[in-house]
Amino acid sequence: MLRSLCSRLEPQSLICAVTRGMSAYSPHYIEAIFSKKKQLNLKETDEYIKLSHLPIKAAKNDDSESIFYNELVNKMVNYITKGGNKKLARELLTKSFECMKRVQIERMNLNPESKDTIIADPEQLLIKAIENSRPLLQLTAIKRGGVKYQVPIPVTEKRSYFLAMKWLLEAAREKERKVHLPEKLAWEVLDAAYNQGRVVKRKNDLHRQCESNRAYAHYRWS
Amino acid sequence: MEVALRIGVNLLKINRVCVHSASRITDSYAKQIQLNRDFSTEVTVNAAPLAVKKHKVSKAMKAYLERARENDEFMKTQKLEYQIGKRHLANMMGEDAETFTQEDIDNAIAYLFPSGIFDKRARPLMKSPEEVFPARKAAEFDETGRPFHSMFYTGRPNFFKLLYDIVEEMNKIHDLEERMLRRGTRADANQKIDFTGFQWMPKEQLESMLVEQINDLEYTNFTNAMDRLVSLPFSYKCQNFIKKFSKPLLDQTKQLEIPKPQFDADGRQFVTTYECLRKTARGDVTVRMPGTGKITINGHDITYFEELQSREQVLFPLIFAGLLGKVDVEANVEGGGTSGQAGAIRWGIAMSLRSFVDQEMVESMRLAGLLQRDYRRRERKKFGQEGARRKYTWKKR
Amino acid sequence: MLGRHSFKLPRLTNMCVAYSTAAAEASVEQLYNRPKLTSTDYRTAENNTKQHSAVHEGKFYTLSPEQKKQLFSGGGLPRQYEQQIKTFTEACLMVRPTSLELLNYIRNTDFTRPVVRYVLYGENGVGKTLTMAHVLHYGLQNNFVLVHVPWVPNWMKRPKETVNATTQEGFIDLPFDAAAWLVHFKTQNANLLTQLQLKTSKDYVWTKREATPAGSTLLELVEHGIARIKFASETIAALLSELKQHANDDKCKIMVAIDGFNAFFHPETRILGDNKQRITPDRVTLTQPFLDITNYNWKNGVCVLTVDKIGMTEGYMDSYLPRYLLGKEGFEHLDPFVPLHVDNYSDKEFASCIQYYLDRNWIQKTPEGFDEQLKYLSNKNPYTLMRLTRSL
Repeated sequence: MLRSLCSRLEPQSLICAVTRGMSAYSPHYIEAIFSKKKQLNLKETDEYIKLSHLPIKAAKNDDSESIFYNELVNKMVNYITKGGNKKLARELLTKSFECMKRVQIERMNLNPESKDTIIADPEQLLIKAIENSRPLLQLTAIKRGGVKYQVPIPVTEKRSYFLAMKWLLEAAREKERKVHLPEKLAWEVLDAAYNQGRVVKRKNDLHRQCESNRAYAHYRWS
Repeated sequence: MEVALRIGVNLLKINRVCVHSASRITDSYAKQIQLNRDFSTEVTVNAAPLAVKKHKVSKAMKAYLERARENDEFMKTQKLEYQIGKRHLANMMGEDAETFTQEDIDNAIAYLFPSGIFDKRARPLMKSPEEVFPARKAAEFDETGRPFHSMFYTGRPNFFKLLYDIVEEMNKIHDLEERMLRRGTRADANQKIDFTGFQWMPKEQLESMLVEQINDLEYTNFTNAMDRLVSLPFSYKCQNFIKKFSKPLLDQTKQLEIPKPQFDADGRQFVTTYECLRKTARGDVTVRMPGTGKITINGHDITYFEELQSREQVLFPLIFAGLLGKVDVEANVEGGGTSGQAGAIRWGIAMSLRSFVDQEMVESMRLAGLLQRDYRRRERKKFGQEGARRKYTWKKR
Repeated sequence: MLGRHSFKLPRLTNMCVAYSTAAAEASVEQLYNRPKLTSTDYRTAENNTKQHSAVHEGKFYTLSPEQKKQLFSGGGLPRQYEQQIKTFTEACLMVRPTSLELLNYIRNTDFTRPVVRYVLYGENGVGKTLTMAHVLHYGLQNNFVLVHVPWVPNWMKRPKETVNATTQEGFIDLPFDAAAWLVHFKTQNANLLTQLQLKTSKDYVWTKREATPAGSTLLELVEHGIARIKFASETIAALLSELKQHANDDKCKIMVAIDGFNAFFHPETRILGDNKQRITPDRVTLTQPFLDITNYNWKNGVCVLTVDKIGMTEGYMDSYLPRYLLGKEGFEHLDPFVPLHVDNYSDKEFASCIQYYLDRNWIQKTPEGFDEQLKYLSNKNPYTLMRLTRSL
């Protein structure tokens, strides 16, 4: 755990010197920047001029400039994918979004005054749900003197996003078998977006545990 | 010689035992002299070690000189052979021997000795001996055994001298800065070294320049030190020094040339990109301008792809360049799967669009990763593992 | 809690910056900047189908809930469309050029001549069933007796129950489906039938004890069929022959609307006979009456049929053209007919559809150029557009 933490604190810039062992590209290739907004942002900094001399990898298949693209949603699709069947995963997530939208529109139709407050955009709902269920700390087992203590340690941003999405999916997969994943996932996301439901409870439980175990926090540095 | 040496050593040991009050002298030579002085009766005995020592010292030097001389002779003969061989070759090829360049030599050798070996370095070649044989260092210490270079005992004198040089330059610049500061003048920003288009000399090149082996860590140190040097405001004063160790990076955009659009029967401009590959899919794409945004793939509509992702990929370059409704696209693709075919068409469209778009947009597309051929292929399964990466389930017992 | 062990916030990686900016961007006004919608662009208040003309092309008109219930409670609208109606709380149909053309033809038919058969064909998801729905609505509003079969392949592929026919040897009955259809017929035509007071011309003897005498109203016949499921298929046969008779006698106008007509001529069904073998459609009792009524040996009527690729099983889906889908028999049976090609949306229709979705809050995000992207992604196909906008 600590080792992975140390590796995370490496300087991360666009020009990443560390790549996986067997990559089809040489190490000095950098990731593609396919979002027009990002490119515009870069132009204002000095990095842009450096980029004109660097070779760039090809853009991936899931990235595009289309209206349906969102990084978080893409990640979610990846986590739902099983056995390489991304088509099915995307279909499931789309159905889930549809479910969410229908529920929200129904709610909107029931109270016409709340049209401005109720969010019906499924992507927004998903983002909000993930934000609400992101943990700040997590517990690790650290062995000191033969005893394994549960020590609270901070969670990196990437990992917190991963945990939030994983919990959402786990909660969705837990319920009854007759109901399909899209509907279950839709309900989980809606609950989490409103700060209720099992995922947020799980996060709060974790935080409470960390709070109660804060006496062990110094074991991080022994 | 060796026998005498051994006898001498044994006698030395006996002598040591005898002489109790012999103070510890680390230098064996000095020890010898001491013993010589103490035990003059053993003159004959001492003569042998002295002689041994003299030979010992000069032997190394002698061997060194011997080697150096051999090397020089060897190189001379090689050069001579090379020259003669070049003239012979020119004769054989019917060319003028005086104006026979290295390129001509390479072509001639490739013609006379055709080789299908994959690695180009394993094929027959004929180059001047300086390039073929690695450079060696000349004698590093003189007769007395005293090294010429002050940092000889580091093992890598040239490299460390280089680092010292960098520090010297930095100190010089620091002093200059202080003087300028006292005068109140600042560094001229216009003359500041622009390092964006350059990179430091790669490790191999540096090694060959210094005729020494360098560690990865040491190379990183070197790079960091040079970066620090460059970042100083008055670094332009030692530009020559920096230029020696920098290498210009290629400007990526100007690598490939953009084809000119041709004109078809209707008077519309069009560009065809052949050999659009992605995984196993092969295709070719024609982009016509001006158009209505019609997309035809293998005779069908964009509905050829049922998946949303594939359709997005096909439209990606058009959306990026903003030419969605303005060009017509015709594509023929076969082989591979849905995703592979979509990727091939995407690359084809992007490459064709370059001719209809200005330089800035081409650079943007390159940064977006649209113009890069995706060479990733399926990784092979390895024995002892279930797949390419997945290992068999680990069982404790 | 964390004061003493203050940790450095981990440096933002590129992706995390993207996530937070993705969240931040989503709240940027630009994404939700809806174009101003003028409702007359995509809606029309003209709910009387009789008045629909080229002026209303590309606009949505509303179907009132009672009429919708009357017409489609037994089926007839695609499943996804039903869901859409529920979410949008209203049933809106778009006036399309094909339906206008068809309505024009129907308006100008000479009812003294033999019946004209119209066949709607087109790619998957292009709007054939909804065009038929539009025409049905017209029929309802103009006092046609509606003989509407929602989706024939349902009978061929997923029958609720199959029974060996009693009267005809070797034939298969579908009692539940027949009864369901009779209910559907009743809901559609109850008012009209009570108005017209059509009577049966001959006796129908079901068993020794049950018989429907001549002179009873068609409604009674229908109710008997619903009550006695065993004889439902025969009731249908009787009913349709009676109707044909009445139409020929100028007593009423009939509109026959059958969706997925090519299923009657498919080489095989999914119904298994006695000896566990697949049977062909002409061994089903229900096929015969409907084939009969689509003949042209009567007048005072209109026949609107759809041929659909979806109704076929795998292996027969090469083309969407009628000749291929109907096969030799079907083509000969229907020949001559008027083919009507239903096409994808035109630019104008597409724009109005997008505006309708925006109005109903179905499309939530509106980034720059989204309609163009949707246009090319969906290729202006109505079904694909509906599927694409699900997640938007």
